[in-house]
Amino acid sequence: MPEAMLIETTPFARNKPIAVPGLVVAYRDGVTVASIAAYREKAVALSDLIEATYGVALPAPGRRVSSNAITLQWSGPGQWLAIAERGQRGGAVRDLEAELKPIVAGLAAVVDQSDARGIVAISGTRALNVLAKGVPIDLHERAFATGDVANTHASHIAITIARLDDTPTFELTMYRSYATSFTDWLRSATAEFVHTQPR
Amino acid sequence: MRLACPCCGERSLDEFTFLGDASVTRPDPSADDAAGAFHAYAYLRRNAAGPSDELWFHNTGCHAWLVVTRDTRTHEILGVRLAQDVALARTGNRKDVRETSA
Amino acid sequence: MSRGTSYRLANGGAIDRSRPLSFSFDGHDYTGFAGDTLASALLANGVRLVARSFKYHRPRGILSAGSEEPNALVELRAGARREPNTRATTAELYDGLDALSQNRWPSLAFDILAVNSLASPIFVAGFYYKTFMWPAAFWEKLYEPMIRRAAGLGRAADAPDPDTYEKVTAFCDVLVVGGGPAGLTAARAAARSGARVVLADESFALGGRLLAERRTIDQMSGVEWCSSMTNELAAYDNVRLLPRTTVFGAYDSGTYGAVERVSDHVAVPPDGTPRQRLWRIVAKRTIVTAGATERPIVFGNNDRPGVMLAGAVRTYINRFGVAPGRRTVVFANNDDGCATIADLAAAGIDVAALVDTRSATPRHIADLAARLGVRAINGVITDVEGRHGVKRARIRTTDGASLVVDCDLVAVSGGWNPNIQMTTHLNGKPRWNDAISAFTPGDLPKGMSVAGAAAGEFSLTACLAQGTRAGAAAAAATGFDAEPIDVPTTGDEHVAISAFWHVEGSRHKALVDFQNDVTAADVALAEREGFRSVEHLKRYTTLGMATDQGRTANVNALAILAKLTGKSIPETGMTTARPPFTPVALGAFAGHHRGHDFKPSRLPPSYDWTREQGGILVETGLWMRPAYFPRAGERDWLDTVKREVETVRRKVGICDVSTLGKIDVQGPDSIALIERLYMNGMTTLKVGRARYGVMLREDGMVMDDGTVARLGEHHYFITTTTANAAKVYQHMQLARQWLWPELDVELASATEQWAQYAVAGPRSRDLLSSIVDPVFDIRDATFPYLAAAELTCCGGVKARLYRLSFSGELAYEIAVPARYGDALWRRLVDDAHALGGCAYGSEALGVMRIEKGHVSGPELNGTTTPSDIGLGSMASKKKDYIGRVLGGRLGLTDAERPTLVGFKPLDRAKRLRAGAHFIARNAEATAANDEGYMTSAAFSPSLGHWIGLGLLRRGPQRLGEVVRAFDPLRNEDNLVEVVSPVFIDPEGARLRA
Ligand SMILES: [Zn+2]
Repeated sequence: MPEAMLIETTPFARNKPIAVPGLVVAYRDGVTVASIAAYREKAVALSDLIEATYGVALPAPGRRVSSNAITLQWSGPGQWLAIAERGQRGGAVRDLEAELKPIVAGLAAVVDQSDARGIVAISGTRALNVLAKGVPIDLHERAFATGDVANTHASHIAITIARLDDTPTFELTMYRSYATSFTDWLRSATAEFVHTQPR
Repeated sequence: MRLACPCCGERSLDEFTFLGDASVTRPDPSADDAAGAFHAYAYLRRNAAGPSDELWFHNTGCHAWLVVTRDTRTHEILGVRLAQDVALARTGNRKDVRETSA
Repeated sequence: MSRGTSYRLANGGAIDRSRPLSFSFDGHDYTGFAGDTLASALLANGVRLVARSFKYHRPRGILSAGSEEPNALVELRAGARREPNTRATTAELYDGLDALSQNRWPSLAFDILAVNSLASPIFVAGFYYKTFMWPAAFWEKLYEPMIRRAAGLGRAADAPDPDTYEKVTAFCDVLVVGGGPAGLTAARAAARSGARVVLADESFALGGRLLAERRTIDQMSGVEWCSSMTNELAAYDNVRLLPRTTVFGAYDSGTYGAVERVSDHVAVPPDGTPRQRLWRIVAKRTIVTAGATERPIVFGNNDRPGVMLAGAVRTYINRFGVAPGRRTVVFANNDDGCATIADLAAAGIDVAALVDTRSATPRHIADLAARLGVRAINGVITDVEGRHGVKRARIRTTDGASLVVDCDLVAVSGGWNPNIQMTTHLNGKPRWNDAISAFTPGDLPKGMSVAGAAAGEFSLTACLAQGTRAGAAAAAATGFDAEPIDVPTTGDEHVAISAFWHVEGSRHKALVDFQNDVTAADVALAEREGFRSVEHLKRYTTLGMATDQGRTANVNALAILAKLTGKSIPETGMTTARPPFTPVALGAFAGHHRGHDFKPSRLPPSYDWTREQGGILVETGLWMRPAYFPRAGERDWLDTVKREVETVRRKVGICDVSTLGKIDVQGPDSIALIERLYMNGMTTLKVGRARYGVMLREDGMVMDDGTVARLGEHHYFITTTTANAAKVYQHMQLARQWLWPELDVELASATEQWAQYAVAGPRSRDLLSSIVDPVFDIRDATFPYLAAAELTCCGGVKARLYRLSFSGELAYEIAVPARYGDALWRRLVDDAHALGGCAYGSEALGVMRIEKGHVSGPELNGTTTPSDIGLGSMASKKKDYIGRVLGGRLGLTDAERPTLVGFKPLDRAKRLRAGAHFIARNAEATAANDEGYMTSAAFSPSLGHWIGLGLLRRGPQRLGEVVRAFDPLRNEDNLVEVVSPVFIDPEGARLRA
C-alpha cells in the first residue's frame, strides 16, 4: 500500500539563487496552469463564459489580465494560458484543468500545464540590461507596456514574457526541462553586475 | 531579416522556421490525375526572382503558420498573413485575413 | 632613432599627462599616457619600425591613426589572451600592455625572410597559381608549409580564451554610426526630439576627426566642443552612447551588427565583465556618419616607416601630442593635405618641402607656405629612401627637375574616401563623384541616410549642418517632432582636390595594398594577363582581400587599372564591401554559447538521480538522456548494458521515457486530423486504448512513429520520438492550420507536463501494483496489452498508465505530473531493487528494440518507406493520408528495394557494426554490387552474440542466405546470415503476458 503522497520537486530546485544588486530574481512555484484553446468560432462565447466566471474576459493578442481568482495570458491565435496559485481554496488544492474543463466544455480544449513550466520573475532597475543579453524583443516601456505579453526566446530557450509593473518586473515562463540552462544563462548575464551597485 | 507576425509583431528571423512555397496547394487525392498532381505539388517550384509567397512557422512565438510574401531579390517583406486565414479564404470559409503588410 | 628619445610634444593633445602608463613592445619597456593608442605611444618613444609585411617582409611603420591601418599589426597580450593582427592604431594603451611585432624572424630589424623581397619575382601577382602548379603532392609537404612560414599574420593563442563574451539586442528609433561632428549633431538633434537614440563610435572618445584637427566650433576648441556634446548626450535617458564600438555590418530590416570592446583597454577584464559584447541593433532609422578614410599616393617605397597619411600626422600631433617625425615633406593632391604644413609648423616640426601634385597650387595654400617659410614644389615624390625608415625623398618637379630632400617623415594625402561600407552591405552600388575623386553612397537601404564626410561632404560646416538635419529628419520619420536646432558655427576651410593616384617611373616597389603586399606592378601584370575586371584583379592579386578589406588600397588600384584599360573609374567598377567592416573576434559571435553553454540542455526528471548514481548521459537533440548506469565491478559500458538488458528480460527495469514528444489533441475533428496524419487506421481505436502509429511525409517516406492513446470521445494523446518531437508538432500544426483549416481540432504540447517511465519485464506488473492506487485494477484481464487509463498512484497522485512495450517484455509506461517525477523515479528504483530489478538507460533500450526488431532513428532515416522497414501491411487502404499518393510511386514500391531483415555473424564471435554494406557472398566489393546496409547493431545478451538490423535488397526473400557485411571505413568484412528481424519472442507472448 502506498503510504504517502510523493514529494514534489520545483523546476528550479537544483539552481542556487541569483543575488545581484539592482535585480530581484524570484522563482514562482506552487501554481496551477492550464492551456485553453478555443474551438472554431467559439472564442467569443468562451470569453463571455470566462468573464462571467472569473470577472475578466480573455485578453487580446499580446495581453495579459488578472483578477483575484485567475491570470489569463494570451499565448497564440485563439489560445491562452490560465494561471493561478495552487494554494488552498475551500480546503482543496486548485487544479485549473479540472476547474476549467466542465466550465468550457464544448467551447475549448483545456490541458493541464501546471508541471510543464518553470516561472521566474525578474525585477529591478537592471532587469532590462540583463534581459537584453538574451531576449531579442524590445522590452522598453514604449514598446512593451505593463500587461503586455510575448512569446519569444531567451538565449535560445523558448519563453513567454510578460511585463507585470514598471519597476520593471518581468515574468518569464519556460518549459520546465530548460530551467537549469536558463539559470546558467541568467547567471552569466548578471555576472558583470554582481560587484557593482546600479547607478 | 525581420518578419512582422500578425499575432506577435515584428520579430527576428531566428524565431521562425522556413518550410517552402505557399503557392502550391495539396491536390485532390481522389482525382484521376492524383499521381501527377502530387508530383507537381511536392517537387515543382516556380522559384521566382521577385515576390514569392512562402510558408514560415513562428516557432518561438505563437506557433502560427504564416504566408510571407518576400521579394527573393531584396529580402523585402511585402506582407505576412496567417496561413490558416489564407487557407480558409481560399475555400471561401473566411473573409478577414489577419495580416501585417509592409 | 635610438630608443628613449622622446617625440612627445611639450604640450597639447587630448591625453592625460598626469597618468603615465608603462607598456612593452618586443620586450622593451616604454611609457605612454592615458588617452594614447599603442601607435601614438610607440611614436612618442621614437619607435617607427613596428612590423614586417605579409609577403615580402618589408619593414613597416604606422601609416594611419585609425581602423584602416594596414601596416602596424601586432600581437597583443600573451598566453591564452594573445591576439594576432591587432591594429596598434586602435589599441588603447593600458598599464602593462604587452605587444609583439609579427612576421619577423629572428628580429624586427633583422628579418631573414626579407629575402622574399629579393625573390619577389616568384611572389608576384598570381604566384599561387603559377609557381606551385605541380607536382600536386608538393603542396602539402613543401609549398604550403613554406608559404605559411614565409607569409603569415601573427599567431593565434593556443590555449582556450579565458575571457567571456556576450550578445545584446538593442532597439532604437535612430542609430547613428560614427561619433564625429556629423554624428554628434545628428544624435543631438534626434535626442532632443525624444527619440530613442544609439550612437556608436570606434574610438574611446567621441569626436572623430574633430579630436585631431585644430578647429573652433561655437567658440570652443574641437576637443572642448566634443566633450560638451558628449556630456549633453550622456545626460539624456533616451540616448545610449557606445564608445569603443564598431558597427561592422548592415543587415536586412534595419538590423546592424556592432562589437563593443568592453575590456580591451584593460589588461584583464574585471570579474564578471565580458571582454567584448556583440550588439544586434534594430533601428527604425539609421544615420551613417562614419566619416572618411584618407588614401595614400602610390610611389616608390611608399610603405617605408615614416610615410604616413597626412591626416594621421595631424592626429598624432593634435590629439596625442606626438611628433611623428622631426623633418617632414608633405605630399598631397588636395588642399586639406597641403594644409598639414600649418599643423606641423605649429608643433615646431620642420617642414622641408610641400610637394603638390597639382600644376598650380591654390593661392591660399601658396600663401600659407610662404607665411610659414615652407618651400612649395609642384611635382611628385618618386621614391623615398632609407632601409628601416624614411631618410630622404626623391622629388620630380612638374617641369622635370629632380631633387632630393632629407626628411624622416612624409605626410601623404591622395584625398579622402567616404566610408560608405555600411551603405553597400545590402548590395547598394556606390556612385563616383568627380568633384572629390571618390565613391559616394548610391541607393540606400530602407531607413538609412548618410551625412557628413561619409556622404562626401568634407567641410566641417557642411558636416555640422548635414548631421543636424539628418538627425531631425530621422527622428521625425519615427514620429518624434524635432524642435529646430541651431547648427553649430565654425570657420570655412578649403577642400579642393585634383585627382592623382600613382607616380609612374619610381625606382622601387610602389605599394597599392600594403597589407597584402600588392604593388602597382602587380596590378599592371594582372591587366597584361587579362585580369581586367575588378573582381578578377582582386582575386588574382589578392588586392583588398586582407583583414582591412583594402580600405587604403581599393580606389588607388581601380584608378591604376582604369588608366591601363583606358576606362573611367566608374566604368572600371568597385568591389563589394561585406561585413564585417573591421575584424570581429569569433568569441563575440559565440557570446555565452560556448563549451557547456554551446546550446541549452533539457534535463529529464530522472536527471538528478542519474548524476547522483554516476549514470552516463547522452545527448538526444537537446535532451540529456540517461544512457546507462554503471556499477562497481563492471569493466565497460557493454558489461553494464548487458546487465541492464538481462535484468529487464528476467525481472524488471525502469527507464525514463519523459523525453518522448507528447501532444494533446482535442476537438470534434480530432480523429479526422489523426487519420490524415497516420498511415494506419485509427478510427476503430476505442477510449482507453492505445495504438502504434506511423506518420509519413508527403513524399511517401516515413517521418516518425509513436503511439496514439484515446483518452475521451474527442480527446487523443500522441507520443512522438524524442528526436522528432518538434518536427512532428510543426507538421501537425501545418496540417491543422494550412492543409485542412476547416478541421475543428486543437493541439497542445504536453511533453513537459508528464514525467513518464517505462516499466518493463516479467515483474513489471508486480512492481506497478505497489505504485498504482489499489482501486485501479491493472490485471491483464482488465488492463490488457495496449490499454490506456487515467488513474492515480502513490496515494492520490494524478497519473496515466499505458500498456506499451518497446522491449518486447510485459511492459507499461506510467506518467505523473513532472513535479513528482523525481520522487516517483526514486520510488520505482527502490521498489524495483526489491524485486531484483534495476534502472536501465537508452543503451539497453536500444539493444532490446534491436532484439525485438523494432525500428528506430537509424531505420527512420528519411529514405525508407513503410514497406522498406516491414510496416507496409499497416497502411490503410480505406482512407487518404499524408504520403499515400506519392508513396505509391513505382520507385517506392519496387520489389527490389532494400528491406528490413536481421543479421547474425556466421562466426558468432565477430562484432557487427552499423554502416557496413551488404554484398553477395561471392561478389566483388564494388558500389555496383551494393545491396544495402546495416542500420543498427548491438550485442544481444539474450542471444550471446552480436546481431544487426539492416536494409537488404529483397531481404525477406533471402532468409537463410549468407552475405558479406563489408565495412571499408573500419576495414571489416564479415559473413552474416540473413534472418528474421525479430530475434526474440516472435509470437509476442511475453508482452501479452
Ligand atoms: Zn507569432
